[in-house]
Amino acid sequence: MIKKQKKIFLYAFLLTFVVFNFGIFMGYMLETSRVSEINILYLEAEMELLDQRIQKDALDLIELDCELLVQENIDFADRIFQEALLIQKYEDANRMNENIIFQHKRYDLLRTLFWINSIRIKQKCGSDYHNLVYFYQFNDPSIKQDSKQRFFSNLLIEIKEEYGNKVMLIPISGDNDLPSISLLLNKYEIIEFPTILIDENIKITDLETKEDITKYLF
Amino acid sequence: MKLLPIIYLMYMFVAIYFLFLYFLLYINNKKTLFSYPKIKENYSVSVLVPAWNEEETIEETIKTIFDVDYPLKEIIIINDGSTDRTKEIVQKLQKKYSRLKLINKENTGKGDSLNVGIEKAEGKLIAVIDADSYPAKDSFKKLVGFFENEKVGAVTCAIIPRNAEKFSEKLQCIEYCVIAFTRKLLGYVDAIYVVPGPLAIYRTSALKEIGGFDAKNITEDIEIIWHLTQAGYERRMCLSTHVTTTVPNKFKKWYFQRRRWNIGGLQCISKYKKYFLKKGMLGCFILPFFILQLFLGMLGLGIFVYLAITKFLKNYIFAKYSIQIGTSLVTMNDLHLTTDFLNYLGIILFVVGFVFTLLVLSIMKTSSLKKHSIFNLLFFSIVYLSTYPFIMIGSIYNFVKKNHKW
Repeated sequence: MIKKQKKIFLYAFLLTFVVFNFGIFMGYMLETSRVSEINILYLEAEMELLDQRIQKDALDLIELDCELLVQENIDFADRIFQEALLIQKYEDANRMNENIIFQHKRYDLLRTLFWINSIRIKQKCGSDYHNLVYFYQFNDPSIKQDSKQRFFSNLLIEIKEEYGNKVMLIPISGDNDLPSISLLLNKYEIIEFPTILIDENIKITDLETKEDITKYLF
Repeated sequence: MKLLPIIYLMYMFVAIYFLFLYFLLYINNKKTLFSYPKIKENYSVSVLVPAWNEEETIEETIKTIFDVDYPLKEIIIINDGSTDRTKEIVQKLQKKYSRLKLINKENTGKGDSLNVGIEKAEGKLIAVIDADSYPAKDSFKKLVGFFENEKVGAVTCAIIPRNAEKFSEKLQCIEYCVIAFTRKLLGYVDAIYVVPGPLAIYRTSALKEIGGFDAKNITEDIEIIWHLTQAGYERRMCLSTHVTTTVPNKFKKWYFQRRRWNIGGLQCISKYKKYFLKKGMLGCFILPFFILQLFLGMLGLGIFVYLAITKFLKNYIFAKYSIQIGTSLVTMNDLHLTTDFLNYLGIILFVVGFVFTLLVLSIMKTSSLKKHSIFNLLFFSIVYLSTYPFIMIGSIYNFVKKNHKW
């Protein structure tokens, strides 16, 4: 009787294996759907940016409405900022694979491209908006760095909420080993994270109040 | 995948495995959960009651034992150097009960006291009863029949707390029921690893064959079962009867009791480690089960402490910066909760565990169990069980320091 029942050890293992894999499968499906969602958002954003770049390049050839181009640029900045927050939420969850990390890198490149585009639009149209590029450590920040980044992030969100269209908030992770971003980091001599770069000119690495940062802008 | 999720997955696999093991054992044996073999032979039973300063409970325990509906050969009280009135109380009762015997000795501990009792016992079976425990009237009648199987070396029954009024007592009541039920289920695969002190009956020849109890072990009831298992004896559990005992209702007493159980377990692991993964139930299930429990408990606690400290430091530094500069401490982004695959497995684990606890309580229909609210069950499942690894820390410390006091 007892010997016969010892097979239950094996049956329990098989049952656990099935249920466990079901849980893993559900998690995998969830992650896949999140990556797909980000992918669609990315493609839409990429298309929008491409459109803006064409518009900007077209400024040299034909007369275009600068005001409209600037407004579209600002709207696009808001959009990719919101999408950055969404990706961050997904990244905070435990992951089975690193697909979402690749999406993060793609977004970093897109934001960098947007930043460069934004500089050019500003030069051509002479607009008065300000670029606030926020460089942060993405991979394994230290405890102090993580706390500081959370503080900077909240501070920048407050500034964005207060000044709206006057501020382009562009978060870019600085440690993703992407040559184009590394080149820009070298150009602007950014050697530590987090760093806020205001209008490609002023670097903020220490704690500062909202009022102090606002003084650099207006 | 990072290391932490892998460890979590390992945890969940082990926990879900044991829950399914219990479920399958239950489904396979639900008709025989409360059955017990009929007595064909009237075995002579000697009852041993080791007592150390038990003046408050010894009289009632003795009276309860004499009240059982099975003819007992003798009841031997081993007075382990009590400094209170235990001896006088037993001597007074000897005038009333002719089969009540008293052995007075110096205080040498429970295991040694039982060995002294085994030497004097004349029965074919030896029942060990704690001096603060009270066997049910039908307990012996239902337990003795298991010895018809010559391979059986020890039998026990469900332990029910006497006091189940306070919140802490109710939680222990749930715990004791789950323990009794799972012990019964493990009995179906010969995996019982302890027959607890409140009431256990042993085959006298088996006890003598293995040389009695280990006087150095502070949980002699675990050690003796591991020893009997190694010697090839089977253990049985009877759910249809019970013994009541007083559970601690003060945190300190509760903590020391649990610490003692853990230290005893560690002593057993240390003593029998050479049988790890060797043929037989001790090497293939009991030892791995104990070691896995210990390893996962400690690892889980380590991860928990690491995460808690890291989170605390991050929040502390962040709060310091925010207050210093005057920005908001909490934003909507801080309040998000993103589900992941571990959440799914966690939900499966919690639901299966909770359903299992409900199942146990519905099957173990004792009057004291009707008082359990959903809050008690949730508290038991989430908070009470989480305290086990913390107690283990103190236990390991005392085990290493060789502080094996009760």
